[in-house]
Amino acid sequence: MRRFLVLLLALLCVVSFAAKYGGTVRFLIGVDVTTLLPGNIPDSISTIVGMHIFEGLVDIDENLRIIPALAESWEILDNGTAYVFHLRRNVKFHDGADFNAYAVKKNFDYLFSANLRNAGQYKGIIKEVQVIDDYTVKIVLFAPNSSILYRLAQSTGWIVSPQAIEKYGSDPALMSKNPVGTGPFMFKEWKAGESVELVKNPNYWRQGLPYLDRIIFRVVAEDVSRVNQVRAGDADFMYNPPPALFAALQQDKSLKVEVVPTVRTIFIGLNTLRPPLSDVRVRQALNYAVDKEKLCRVLMKGLAKPSDSPLSSRTFGYYSTGGYPYNPERARQLLKEAGYENLKLELITPKGRYLNDYETAVAIQGMLKEVGVTVDVKPIEWGSYVSKILSRKPEDWDYQMFLLGWAPGTAEGHQVLFPLFHSSNRMDNPNATMAYNNSFYSNPKVDELIDKIAVETDEKKLLEYFKEAQKLVVQDAPWIFLYEMNIAAVMRKELQGVKIYPTERVSLAEAWIEH
Amino acid sequence: MLKFVVRRLLLLIPVVIGVSIVSFSIMHMIPGDPARIIAGEGATIEDIMSIRTKYGLDRPLIEQYLRFMKGIITNDLRSIRTERPILTELLPRFANTAQLALVSIVISSVIGVTLGIVSAVKRNSWIDTFSMVFSLVGVSMPIFWLGILLIILFAVTLRWLPSGGKGGIEHLILPALTLGLATSAIIARMTRASMLEVLNQDYVRTVVAFGLPRRKVIYKYVLRNAMIPVVTVIGLQFGYLLGGAVLTESVFGWPGLGRFVVDSIFSRDYIAVQVGIMMIATSFVLVNLLVDLVYALIDPRLRRG
Repeated sequence: MRRFLVLLLALLCVVSFAAKYGGTVRFLIGVDVTTLLPGNIPDSISTIVGMHIFEGLVDIDENLRIIPALAESWEILDNGTAYVFHLRRNVKFHDGADFNAYAVKKNFDYLFSANLRNAGQYKGIIKEVQVIDDYTVKIVLFAPNSSILYRLAQSTGWIVSPQAIEKYGSDPALMSKNPVGTGPFMFKEWKAGESVELVKNPNYWRQGLPYLDRIIFRVVAEDVSRVNQVRAGDADFMYNPPPALFAALQQDKSLKVEVVPTVRTIFIGLNTLRPPLSDVRVRQALNYAVDKEKLCRVLMKGLAKPSDSPLSSRTFGYYSTGGYPYNPERARQLLKEAGYENLKLELITPKGRYLNDYETAVAIQGMLKEVGVTVDVKPIEWGSYVSKILSRKPEDWDYQMFLLGWAPGTAEGHQVLFPLFHSSNRMDNPNATMAYNNSFYSNPKVDELIDKIAVETDEKKLLEYFKEAQKLVVQDAPWIFLYEMNIAAVMRKELQGVKIYPTERVSLAEAWIEH
Repeated sequence: MLKFVVRRLLLLIPVVIGVSIVSFSIMHMIPGDPARIIAGEGATIEDIMSIRTKYGLDRPLIEQYLRFMKGIITNDLRSIRTERPILTELLPRFANTAQLALVSIVISSVIGVTLGIVSAVKRNSWIDTFSMVFSLVGVSMPIFWLGILLIILFAVTLRWLPSGGKGGIEHLILPALTLGLATSAIIARMTRASMLEVLNQDYVRTVVAFGLPRRKVIYKYVLRNAMIPVVTVIGLQFGYLLGGAVLTESVFGWPGLGRFVVDSIFSRDYIAVQVGIMMIATSFVLVNLLVDLVYALIDPRLRRG
């Protein structure tokens, strides 16, 4: 009898385990994938599709810590200028090619020699990739770099099959349509403007994964339509629903809503070149005058969290500075001290680029009115907007306030502080390497700290530098610090095990459908 | 007749060249740098520069235009955004748009012409009032809103039809209906007005006086003469629909040409926008030619022209 029970139990285990396998997930995306050639991927949607096909040497987990992927372990040598990676054995690409040190070298050599769009992420940082033996590679750097592992975890660092490079490497369009990696799913078909279909990789190196047989990424441009398709059961997953529908979705019993904080912050940049915004008191006053709590609660319906640093609280290196709590009295006082009691400013903003971007600008217009600042809000179409606020021509530098979002692809703070606050990256420096400092901010102390952050490999010291830099930037207030975005995902109740990352990535590698 | 068709086809060449010049100039007049937009957030200056050189965006405008025209002739143009050959990118989308346009123009012609005839013949009856109210609502209703309402009713609540995407014939019903309702309203009004005009003609009074059966009068003598302006409207509407119905495509996730061209404008993908617009212009001219041929079919007097 007992033996029978044990058997029954074992059988039940097997059955319930087997029940996890199979099924198709229909995943809705707002625009078509642009390319599936990792070195060329410019957007988050292509990254979400690509991360099911490809893997890098290392990866970032949901807590934004570096974890092993195709490399099992690594050592840092020569004062941080060389990284030796010990590669996972018995891993094959989808086309049957072996994954080994030669594949890694070929991948990086191709990235540089074909001069792919994102090669700049490693240029000037990686000197060369050396094969030590079949399963060991050494990546030699020009100088120590604190963010190199985070950089390798980005889509540009994903390893492409050497056979695929041989076959299609001469043409990026062919590479883009024939993505071959080592990931949990294999590319099947891409119908332009319509859908991308992936099927299970039966030889995936992580035992027992994936559970799903198929993923179909389907393009539906309208967010209301994406919501309706999931509600109608014609699709299983969508993200970024309109906040106005949020409450209704949470009440729908057939759906599940998940909210995850991201590394993206939304801010209003202040052009510090000319008065009145060259006066730090005015900039601080603007910060005190904006009620961020209210913005997040009323306008964003909980899909955002007030920020007190240029870094999101999820970004590596974040330090909570306390920021500028809402204090209109203090704002009025500061403006009075600075001698600007009836201030007029212009705020330019994109419309529809970020969730409620224009609406936020209008709300701030009202809040600033309270402290005697008249704001003229001017929405601009995204393409024109970017060419205005990222212009290298002096005649374009007449803007005053601009609403913008920033999400470091590396998920660590250097990719926030360096492009946006280092004086070498001011728009007026013709030799800038990442010219995004369009508030024309410059503080020698901050520059020094950012330079230290770039090369420090000791985590304790690194976090100390990050902390000091954030405190100084917040004090100088070249931005109105607004909020950190959350990502909201809506899915069918049966869909389990979906991982949503603060980097705006979504993984179905461990997802299954509950029967 | 053949000479007429050939002459009209030759006329296509200057039209398409003209359209290409206009769209090229407009795309280059609006601010926005495609290299910057394509490179994305966090791109280095070097990345942006290399994209610019790669697509010749740093060359003088005239040279860029000539390069573009040469690319059309040799067929080696690629979309800047997706890097795929431009025709591979556009043709399947055009086919989808054409499919949707065809079904909805058929739906709207059937509904529109029927309603128009009935309300003209039974003028001032309840059916006339109904169909004119219908067409007023149809013309005024935003397509966007109608589409979402139809999805909520037929897909989310009743679950009779799919809520979007491309697939079997059932996927076509809602988007075609959404597009067709507005168009059918226009056609209904046109048919009614045109029928009423012909009904008042002397020759109609004459054939009625001769005692011909009413049905025969309507179909043989009135309808045929009333059809010319209606065919014009149907042709024009069909031409518009072939240009892609951006809103309907967005709401129903229909992978058509219109949405793609709009996305290309936003990312400043000059190549895709220009070729897309040239494609739309060509189809518009061809539809007009078709309309002229249908005129000749309806009205023998026009055949000699």
